[in-house]
Amino acid sequence: MKRRWPLQRLKRLLIGLVVLGALGFLAVLGYAFWPTHTRAIAAPASAADAALIERGRYLALAGDCTACHTAPGGKPFAGGLALASPIGAIYSTNITPDRRTGIGGYSLDQFDRALRHGIRADGASLYPAMPFPSYARLTDEDVRALYAYFLHGVVPVAQADRSPDIPWPLSMRWPLALWRKTFAPSPDAVAFDPKRYPDERVARGAYLVQGAGHCGSCHTPRALTLQERALDESGAQYLAGNQIIDGWNAINLRGNPADGLGRWSEQDIVETLRTGRNPHAAVVGSPMADVTVHSMQHLADADLHAIAAYLKTLPPVPGAGPGFAANDATAKALQAGINDSRGAELYVDNCAGCHRTDAKGYSRVFPAIAGNPTVLAREPDSLVRLILGGSSMPATVAAPSALGMPGFGWRLGDAEVAALASYLRSQWGNQAPPVASGLVARIRAEMPGENHASEEAAHAR
Amino acid sequence: MATRMNKTDVVIVGFGWAGAIMAKELTEAGLRVVALERGPARDTQPDGAYPKVLDELTYNIRKKLFQDLSRETVTIRHGLDDTALPYRQLGAFLPGDGVGGAGLHWSGVHFRVDPVELRLRSHYEERYGKGFLPDGMTIQDFGVSYEELEPHFDFAEKVFGTSGTAWSVKGQVVGADKGGNPFAPDRSNDFPLPAQMRPISAQRFGKAAAELGYHPYDLPSANASGPYSNPYGCQMGPCNFCGYCSGYVCYNYSKASPNVNILPALRQSPLFALRTQAHVLQVDLSADRRTATGVTYVDAQGREVAQPADIVILSAFQFHNVRLMLLSGIGEPYDPASGQGTVGRNFAYQNMATIKAFFSGEVHANPFIGAGGNGIAIDDFNADNFDHGPAGFVGGSPMWVNQAGVKPISGIALPEGVPGWGSAWKQAVAEYYTHTVSMDAHGAHMSYRDNYLSLDPTYRDAYGRPLLRMTLDWKDNDIRMTRFMAEKMRAVAQAMGPKALRVYVKNFGDHFDTTSYQTTHLNGGAIMGADRRTSAINRYLQSWDVHNVFVPGASAFPQGLGYNPTGLVAALTYWSAKAIRERYLAKPGPLA
Amino acid sequence: MPDDPSFTSRRRFLQWSAVAVPALAAAGAPASGQAPSADDRPTFFSASEWAFLRAAAARLIPADALGPGALEAGVPEFIDRQMATPWAEGRLWYMQGPFVPDAPPTLGWQMRLTPRDVYRLGIAAADGWTQDRHGRVFAELDPAAQDGVLQAFESGKARFEQVPAAIFFAMLLGNVREGFFSDPVHGGNRGLAGWKLIGFPGARADFMDWVERDVAYPLPPVSLSGQRG
Repeated sequence: MKRRWPLQRLKRLLIGLVVLGALGFLAVLGYAFWPTHTRAIAAPASAADAALIERGRYLALAGDCTACHTAPGGKPFAGGLALASPIGAIYSTNITPDRRTGIGGYSLDQFDRALRHGIRADGASLYPAMPFPSYARLTDEDVRALYAYFLHGVVPVAQADRSPDIPWPLSMRWPLALWRKTFAPSPDAVAFDPKRYPDERVARGAYLVQGAGHCGSCHTPRALTLQERALDESGAQYLAGNQIIDGWNAINLRGNPADGLGRWSEQDIVETLRTGRNPHAAVVGSPMADVTVHSMQHLADADLHAIAAYLKTLPPVPGAGPGFAANDATAKALQAGINDSRGAELYVDNCAGCHRTDAKGYSRVFPAIAGNPTVLAREPDSLVRLILGGSSMPATVAAPSALGMPGFGWRLGDAEVAALASYLRSQWGNQAPPVASGLVARIRAEMPGENHASEEAAHAR
Repeated sequence: MATRMNKTDVVIVGFGWAGAIMAKELTEAGLRVVALERGPARDTQPDGAYPKVLDELTYNIRKKLFQDLSRETVTIRHGLDDTALPYRQLGAFLPGDGVGGAGLHWSGVHFRVDPVELRLRSHYEERYGKGFLPDGMTIQDFGVSYEELEPHFDFAEKVFGTSGTAWSVKGQVVGADKGGNPFAPDRSNDFPLPAQMRPISAQRFGKAAAELGYHPYDLPSANASGPYSNPYGCQMGPCNFCGYCSGYVCYNYSKASPNVNILPALRQSPLFALRTQAHVLQVDLSADRRTATGVTYVDAQGREVAQPADIVILSAFQFHNVRLMLLSGIGEPYDPASGQGTVGRNFAYQNMATIKAFFSGEVHANPFIGAGGNGIAIDDFNADNFDHGPAGFVGGSPMWVNQAGVKPISGIALPEGVPGWGSAWKQAVAEYYTHTVSMDAHGAHMSYRDNYLSLDPTYRDAYGRPLLRMTLDWKDNDIRMTRFMAEKMRAVAQAMGPKALRVYVKNFGDHFDTTSYQTTHLNGGAIMGADRRTSAINRYLQSWDVHNVFVPGASAFPQGLGYNPTGLVAALTYWSAKAIRERYLAKPGPLA
Repeated sequence: MPDDPSFTSRRRFLQWSAVAVPALAAAGAPASGQAPSADDRPTFFSASEWAFLRAAAARLIPADALGPGALEAGVPEFIDRQMATPWAEGRLWYMQGPFVPDAPPTLGWQMRLTPRDVYRLGIAAADGWTQDRHGRVFAELDPAAQDGVLQAFESGKARFEQVPAAIFFAMLLGNVREGFFSDPVHGGNRGLAGWKLIGFPGARADFMDWVERDVAYPLPPVSLSGQRG
């Protein structure tokens, strides 16, 4: 089975820039090589305790460890997944308890240093493709649980880790230490404090979102130096979205009413995480679909509600942005057979069959276009990519139908896609800036050939 | 030497509705199920992707989704003394191929059954006397009652997301003047979705029928009238009357199919495996021929593969089930001369009449607007809802406007006398296409001693095995019935106020025409019943002779119904699956 | 039945086809591959076959006051392209013998001929028949005479040695209609001429707003490629 992996492009950039940038800081070599001392945590009474292993298994699901540590067609957690970067691929590691090739020989402390601190057993720094800045928030108890699971609940697989393809000197790891020491928080400094939140449920949600779930890895804007602008709600850009992951926009998860979750109920968020769809929107694109299938759908109802409750506490990103004010003028014109712009024609000829002339779609089946955050996002990449290449909803246990939208790239030219996307962003009360055909051309160029307008279609126009 | 696969609990031959239902039910019972489908993998994406699927030439005309006759077909003859010839091109009926089978390309008319038709012989003998049935007519009772099947009809409708208007629920009339059918049997629950919208042509038919004192009702349709999630969590989008229904993959997840309504849930089960391009050659039997050991099939690479299994489900299309039984030696082949034997017995079809009504420009039938299952019907002449005594024939027929989407290559009807080409033809198609209403009398077809299925002595398939031979022709009873129905329907059509009518009805002496499409509702050949001397399978669809072989499908019908068969096929399959789950698994052996 | 002249003609045809078809196959299709593929030059048909096809299409669906006909809609090009499909090679059909071409029509196609054979043999026979009766091939007749000839084919009054005239005519007319009414992606129905003539909306396939409205549907047809008529 072919799987697409989230974060890949971002990680590629991240890896590349961190390595290159760090090369300029030879003067701080000493800083880099100065060892990091970490607090050793107490071992549990029994590492093989079934309840502890189960707790670890659950946390591994919440953290979607399998997303990176299981290669397509490979054994669970045996690593080997390539994460491409401009300077060469790196490969995820074997985290099964095989003593020789995996982490079977890791002590609890070594495990903790990798997980929360980003430090390998040999003292070298991990590439920050591993979200240790988020995992820093995990409690000691949860680290013990994960350790118990990976040492006793996972089948050992003998599969040697593959060295990165990155050539020397870029392959030197000491610059990674600089980045780590500068940007990754110390677990003790960010130790999770539930009292900061109004109630236990919101606190639990905050813990899952910031910690194991590492939602900010995709959904929080990054600084030039590629660290997330905030690792919790103390920053106004936390989970503000508009990050392009594998070509898809990680949407704004804050309270903005148009391009965020402002008009979503807690239940909408829960349904989306459980099934990839809700009464008016759906997961679009492969990165979040994978998160839904491999991670979120398996979480307990109470935890999904906790996540939703926490997200609903995040205020809108300040400042002007896309807007939405429901308006039926567009629908009335289309329903009267009036197609008075190329955008209207394209909508009726390509979209209305499922999304309807009122752009409200149908609950859980065909997402609404009116008021949809993916349509209204500041960065319209997802919308353009969706029109060009289509997308399918994730098939989950609770909602097994992988309802799909076909791509129209073979049928529509760049100017048409731009006209259509601009129409979608400006009708039925949607208020977002138009889309330029240059953006369409750029995104199309990144996509496989079948999404390119055929000669037939070009000829017809 | 055949490759031998690991044994599985259940092997399913043919992944259409019956196969998908069995797979779901039996994996739910904890059994490992391997489904073998001889055609390709098919799904909404990419096979039904909008707009590429909206292509009449590729689908309706070149028949992309149907059985590949170049590899295997049937032969057909009209009488016992004729030599059967191959059905070389698809015409009268269109068997499916690929995942979903005919359930992918059907239209979605989703009926239950008129209870009388489940005990047709008993009913006629009781009401009209034993002498009423003509010589040679071999209709018989199914051996199962509507009451026994009702929970399964109910559940199947929930799985299919069926849209309709109930007449009565738990004895309470709820559908009077709302589009309910007063002749319909009582239901334990309402339809899961309300009836679809009524196109102009259906509205006009209903109005005219009501004026004549008949009882128009909304056709029950497995085209969703709203967004829907079925008991398996599988979802449907509302049908938008796109008109590309029968013969097409529904692009909109609106038409119920095994692919949309069951397969997504099966894919979540680790007990289920589906192998496509796996063409089953035969059921393998034990030395004493009393149990099946599995099946042998040819895979996509042309290799012979043996798949051992404890239970074999034959859920291929109707006549393929019969052919597999004949090729495998399950049961005794039927002999029309002696009347002995059961496999191949009581082969029946559908007895259609059609009327096209041509209107002036003020009536906008817009026949491109269509949904395969939607429409307005009357049951006043269906089943035994009228006195057959004076009519002098056996069988009934619903009548309807079922506007499924009329396409220009295949569908433009013109009044009699209009030339088939030239400027006059051009003028006529321009004048009539959007102002034509089509209606059908979808008659039941009775079974007769000499309408049957057997293996052909001459023609072979691509694997060198004998083709199935159909012996089928119309009898006087059939012609009398369809002409009666056509006249009743003509009166309704006239009451609609058309400029002209064109009636398509069989004449006495007409033979079964294999070239023009009628329906794909082929019935019988492996019929169910209470008596093993006159049926191939018992009331649980279990082979009388080989107890671990079950044969769901319209092959089990002892005669053709007035209604479309899919609803009864689904209910019978659930009924059979329940017997397997609750009784057969505990004690494998004959259930009746 | 045996007194019926068409019966004897079909008998003769049967005898002929038993030798002619293998011979045709062995000789190779006379014109196949002769011309490079181009919009106005056929791939399958020879120049004389092409002239017949164009002339016949122009009479079966003529250009007139109602708009373009089959020729203008690209129907001959459509048929030429169809000749390269599995259908034209008979690969969608059961084509194992024995063949019994004089079977009752209700039992359907029982000849060993493929559509390619029918065109190759049928056009030759049609032009031969026309030459015999009118001294010129079909394409060189005036429209009225062409119509008369087509009627003779349609009714079976014309006797062809190699393929029954009525069968040839029926296939030709069927394919002409296909070319006039199928999506332009297949080469015909240029400018959506066929759909515009009758008011068929093509690949629009969404009528949710129009189901219960007794009005003329207002939007123009649209093709698979997205062209609006």
